[in-house]
Amino acid sequence: MSGIAKGFQYTLNQLTKEKVTYDYPRKPIPLPDRFRGIQKFHPEKCIVCNQCMSICPTGCINLTGKKHPDPTKRGKIIDTYDLNFETCILCDLCTEVCPTGAITMTNNFELAEYSRDGLLKNLQWLDENDENIREESIL
Amino acid sequence: MIRTEEMLLNVGPQHPSTHGVFRLVIKIDGEIITEAKPVIGYLHRGTEKLAENLQYTQIIPYTDRMDYVSAMTTNYVFCHAVETLAGIEVPERAEYIRVISMELSRIASHLVWFGTFLLDLGAVSPFLFAFREREMILNFLNELTGARLTFNYMRVGGVKWDVPEGWLEKVKDFIPYMREQLSGYHNLAIGNEIVQSRLKGIGKYTPKEAISYSLSGANLRCTGIHSDVRKIKPYSIYEHFNFKEAIRNEGDCWSRLECRIEEISESLNIIEQAIEQFPKTGEILGKVPKIIKAPPGETYVSIESPRGEISCYIASDGKKEPYRVKFRRPSFHNLQILPKLLIGQNISNLIVILGAIDIILGEVDG
Ligand code: SF4
Ligand code: SF4
Repeated sequence: MSGIAKGFQYTLNQLTKEKVTYDYPRKPIPLPDRFRGIQKFHPEKCIVCNQCMSICPTGCINLTGKKHPDPTKRGKIIDTYDLNFETCILCDLCTEVCPTGAITMTNNFELAEYSRDGLLKNLQWLDENDENIREESIL
Repeated sequence: MIRTEEMLLNVGPQHPSTHGVFRLVIKIDGEIITEAKPVIGYLHRGTEKLAENLQYTQIIPYTDRMDYVSAMTTNYVFCHAVETLAGIEVPERAEYIRVISMELSRIASHLVWFGTFLLDLGAVSPFLFAFREREMILNFLNELTGARLTFNYMRVGGVKWDVPEGWLEKVKDFIPYMREQLSGYHNLAIGNEIVQSRLKGIGKYTPKEAISYSLSGANLRCTGIHSDVRKIKPYSIYEHFNFKEAIRNEGDCWSRLECRIEEISESLNIIEQAIEQFPKTGEILGKVPKIIKAPPGETYVSIESPRGEISCYIASDGKKEPYRVKFRRPSFHNLQILPKLLIGQNISNLIVILGAIDIILGEVDG
């Protein structure tokens, strides 16, 4: 029976130890900078190169560009940018391939919605999502 | 003699002790199992088929979701296969980071197994302790990769991020802590007489049976067969490290528990040596083109995952997508022996025998 007694003793010893559980959701949970939450999009940085759209393994990015309004400038600017967060697997590849850092990760992960449509994030939503943006860049 | 009516019992697919969506249809006569039929496929996502339409880099996140308890090893086996096929050199620093993260993953995976296995036996507290330590490892990996389980961290030719500042020191401090906890586990549960009597002599098979069922990992080594791929066919930089292969001879559930616990402490030894030898400078990604195209041909590589020998076969026709990808998933192979082990057993041993095999349904169903 000594094994059982040792087990009890081990458990009793733990009573005086520090608590290891988090007080979430009352207190926010500390997350590292690299953590992948939902993306932030910077429309002014985007050069409409379509790389994020083609690397996405689940095909959840849809974007269109339009001609630059300033006729002296060449290239395109972004017109619409839709991210279907229902199928995004947060693999982080889109932010990895973006040459200008127009799409980056944030630490925001509390994204539950009452309807599926709420998970379709458009350019405006992604642009306004500007808290807890990842600082480290892979570029 | 009193005869009771035979009863058909469905275990799962939503039973917590089947560790996922595994269903087992058993026939019991009184309390004795007379027939057992596993039903799998509830989590089948067709990873191998999906991979045929994806570029090599895009396949890596899918490998995360196969063995989701130890995604680093599945990440690695795929990248390793592509590197072998395309002849890509991996910088040494990247290999060290890979080994450290894979061994951390292995410890986390064995801790999940240890906790839930004893939970199946009816012991709740080991689960809480094991998950406390696992949480620390997940925090390390979260800091390194940005995700807790689905890392998508390895890349063909290296890794995605370099180690953050101070990360190696934190992992180094974790090693003595984890060793202390391991001896705590011995006091808490492994030395417990009830645990021992529930496990010793249960679910026994011979080395010959183990081989004919194509078992691997702790399920094979518990019968005394040397099969650790890190030892018998070293890959990555495993020959730089001094570690023992966990071997037992009994072939029962108890010996599988002992093997896995020993593997945790051997993994700690590997991490300790890797941190000591860690190159101060160096690249983390080799010279790889932006769009990887493997030359036409095929390759087959295998590595040691926490559940056994995981292998990846790639056939390429020179395009940027593979022609065919096939994974040898150890959980799937290990599970095949289950019906044989269950017949004639008391029903209370069912969950113990299933638990001791250590399956991950994402891997079984692929
Ligand atoms: S994180 Fe991955 S799945 Fe999500 S949008 Fe980016 S590339 Fe697509
Ligand atoms: S990769 Fe970056 S720059 Fe290119 S389209 Fe996507 S967000 Fe814009």
